[in-house]
Amino acid sequence: MNIVACVKQVPDTEALIKVKPDGSGIDEGGIKWVMNPYDEYGVEAALKLKEANGGEVTVVSLGPARTMETIRTALAMGADKGVHITIDGADAYNTAAALAAAIKDINPDIVFCGQRAIDDDSGQVGSVLAELLGIPQVTIVTGLEVADGKVKAIKPIEGAQLVIESAMPCVVTAQKGLNEPRYASLPGIMKAKKKPVDVKDAAALGISIEPKAKIARMTPPPVRAPGKIIAGDDPAAKAAELVKLLREEAKVI
Amino acid sequence: MAHGGDVYSVGNEGREVFWNAPFPSELILFLFAAIAIAICAYGFYLRWQMWKAIGLPEKRTDEPGERIKSLLLNGLFQIRTFKEAYPGIMHALIFFGFFVLIFGAAFDATHFHLPFLVPFFNGGFYLGFSFIMEVFGLTVLVGIVLAVWRKYIQKPDRLGYRGKADAVADDAIALLLIGGIIITGFLLEGFRLYVNINVDGYTWGGWSFVGYAFAKTLTGISYDTVKILHKLTWWIHAFLAFGFIAYLPFSKLIHIVLAPANQYMKSLKPTGYLEPIADFETAESFGVGQLENFTWKQIFNSDACLKCGRCQDGCPAYLSGKPLSPKKLHQDIKQYWLERAPVVMAAKKAAKEGEEPVIPEPEKVMVGEVIDLHELWACTNCMYCMEACPVFNEHVPMITGMRQYKVLMEADFSPELQLTYRNMENNSNPWGIGAHMRADWAKEVGVKTLAEDPNVEYLFYVGCSGSFDDRGKKVTVAFAKILKEAGIGFGILGEEEGCCGDSAMRGGNEYLSQTLAQMNIDVMNGYGVKKIICTCPHGYNMIKKDYPHFGGNFEVYHHTEIIADLIAQGKLKLKQPVEGLFTYHDSCFLGRYNDIYEQPRKILAAVPGMKLSEMERKHAKSFCCGAGGARMWMEEDIGDRINDMRTDQAIEVKAETIAVGCPFCLTMMSDGIKDREMEEKMKALDIAEIVWEAMGLEEAEMVEAPEEKAPEEDAPAETV
Repeated sequence: MNIVACVKQVPDTEALIKVKPDGSGIDEGGIKWVMNPYDEYGVEAALKLKEANGGEVTVVSLGPARTMETIRTALAMGADKGVHITIDGADAYNTAAALAAAIKDINPDIVFCGQRAIDDDSGQVGSVLAELLGIPQVTIVTGLEVADGKVKAIKPIEGAQLVIESAMPCVVTAQKGLNEPRYASLPGIMKAKKKPVDVKDAAALGISIEPKAKIARMTPPPVRAPGKIIAGDDPAAKAAELVKLLREEAKVI
Repeated sequence: MAHGGDVYSVGNEGREVFWNAPFPSELILFLFAAIAIAICAYGFYLRWQMWKAIGLPEKRTDEPGERIKSLLLNGLFQIRTFKEAYPGIMHALIFFGFFVLIFGAAFDATHFHLPFLVPFFNGGFYLGFSFIMEVFGLTVLVGIVLAVWRKYIQKPDRLGYRGKADAVADDAIALLLIGGIIITGFLLEGFRLYVNINVDGYTWGGWSFVGYAFAKTLTGISYDTVKILHKLTWWIHAFLAFGFIAYLPFSKLIHIVLAPANQYMKSLKPTGYLEPIADFETAESFGVGQLENFTWKQIFNSDACLKCGRCQDGCPAYLSGKPLSPKKLHQDIKQYWLERAPVVMAAKKAAKEGEEPVIPEPEKVMVGEVIDLHELWACTNCMYCMEACPVFNEHVPMITGMRQYKVLMEADFSPELQLTYRNMENNSNPWGIGAHMRADWAKEVGVKTLAEDPNVEYLFYVGCSGSFDDRGKKVTVAFAKILKEAGIGFGILGEEEGCCGDSAMRGGNEYLSQTLAQMNIDVMNGYGVKKIICTCPHGYNMIKKDYPHFGGNFEVYHHTEIIADLIAQGKLKLKQPVEGLFTYHDSCFLGRYNDIYEQPRKILAAVPGMKLSEMERKHAKSFCCGAGGARMWMEEDIGDRINDMRTDQAIEVKAETIAVGCPFCLTMMSDGIKDREMEEKMKALDIAEIVWEAMGLEEAEMVEAPEEKAPEEDAPAETV
């Protein structure tokens, strides 16, 4: 079985995000980069599928040089080879287009993506990729069975869950709950250093990047004002102070 | 040979050896002695082959001076064995008694066969000798009675596993053999003396007072009958002794050899030492997945374990109802070794000269088949077992080895620990809180980083708890204020500080641990750091003992050492009296690991108004809080919670404050107090907090039992 897992490198969820003064993006200094958590579910699903059915897992990622670390992380978990597309800052459509160009030749039976990336939260790449590859897609999946050339996926919706059957090949986007991504073993980490990774740029893929969407401006969320503790020993005086503040400062009464 | 008369008389007291044992008794005796010795020698030969068959190399013969010292102190003088009164005395009676009796018997034999070597074996010397033999014979007998009482009447839990007694037959045989040898010895002496004193005219029988007393009870029996009884007893005595010799290498009696051997070959490394994995790049296997991955010494440990159960008696995992018992761990490994070693030996034997032997694949994997997964992960690395073991077995490194295999090779371990390790990887702390928030506490106190001012005496290595945990941060702040008040020059690494790596190492993730250690060492060396103070004993222990492997050589102090010193120098004035009853909980990584028992107590004693009530389990016998060995980050879902048990021990002594010197202990004790719904009456405080309060420089705000909560991301509340 030919399995593809698409991964994206994103800032760690706990990283301190600082927006560049010109609002063009984030300041990358001091940021710890990790694999997008939803993509990890995708990689784990890909590995489980390989373990059950045999085959090969190719991990594909788009991004600058540092992206290689994330590809190696997936290889350490057990993926067999990688494709690193050295395109930085592409929008969702162009990301999907580059992935499609790289994946097309692999001729996959199934492609896994995270249901969205935690940095830009666009949630488009998996779907656009399926369209560009001309194959079905099942999105936001929390359960998966593959048998007889078909996938049976569980997708939770408000108050219920759908069981969706799809022909293969198809794109599956992974949601939390699909599995517990494995911790890489040390031999896995060591072997990952020697696994093949194809590095390709846009030219090699035969595509040109023409942005369909661009970030106009990025601004940090407003700083929440600090809370206040009213000091004092006399409850009546404190209550009076509270009322005063609620009326004059908070303007809620 | 003629009886007495001319040869033995007053002034030339003695006795006839082989009395009442005419030809060919002597010959038969020697024949069976030879057989017994041959069996014993063969047993040891077999054992030797088995010890050689499996295990990685490890050197345990360096520093002979230290080793001989250990052998004399622990083997000859029984120092460790004496650490517990009843079993200590019981064992000493048998040990010293037997030791002297064996020399006595050897003396006897030499006198008979090589008389020119001991020409003085008569007269006063003989009488004194007889008397001493009598005393030590009795000693052994009393020891045996104590042992029987203990084993069959008292039946302490530690002589079994969860109520099931160990080694029923072996123990009984050993006691019967030793007891039998002594009793028959006295009996046959009595029979002989009955004839000697009444017929042969020996007047010095009283020196052999036990046999003499027995002989005195034998009135009215014919001498011939007694001689028959004597002959019979003589043979029983001899065959019991031969049985003892032949049985020795196949039974727990082998400890007579293995215990001193292990005392000689004990680890001379610092407590808690773990051999670092040197080569991650090319090694094919890490940790202990098979029996073969243990060192020969670790397997030897299992053989040297004679099930005394001292380890089990203070093991927090065992006592809280988890499946681990350090004793059982050794015994399970030994059992498998007994199965496996002959297979390997046979394969090696079958191999042709110059060929690699084809060793059959192991039948069992260590974890899951020989050792249960829950046993493996129940260990808190508290070091009680290793501190208590009279033969210096090293349980903890064996456990870590198996954990390494599960983590590094199979990546098969609890999800919560996997999360912890990911957090350490991504944010260099077990909680996974943003690494940029590490030094947020310092803003409040105005502590500088080494980047801001590297010209300070000490680096204060704050550690993860002290940096991220709300409760831990209060300790950090208190200690920083103390240092400032005492005028000590110190700085922190701020955001450049990382997790020390202790929980990763003890949880088997040596790769992560070394990565973390290396990052810290590079930063510390970059600033030319020489002296480091830690408030967390885990970081303290790791930096002190493990960082030197990776190029980090520092003078490391725990904050209780520093505070005790500052108080002694008069640099800290403790003037505000504290209230209520205190108890002190020894952190394992401070006490057993680093022998810091007195400094915290000295500090507490210097606090005005201090009333300290010690718990029963204290000092080297302290009971773990449950958080060591990466247990801090794991669910505790089998048995009782260890921290609750420890809290109960504090409640028992009516403590209102549990003083600790470790942030893990602080969390565990605080949680225990909550679990026991004692928050109104009790609190847990770090020594630094108690000292800062006693310095009386601030409102007592910091000693109010604080709520634990996740650090807030938003701006802190301001007081209006």
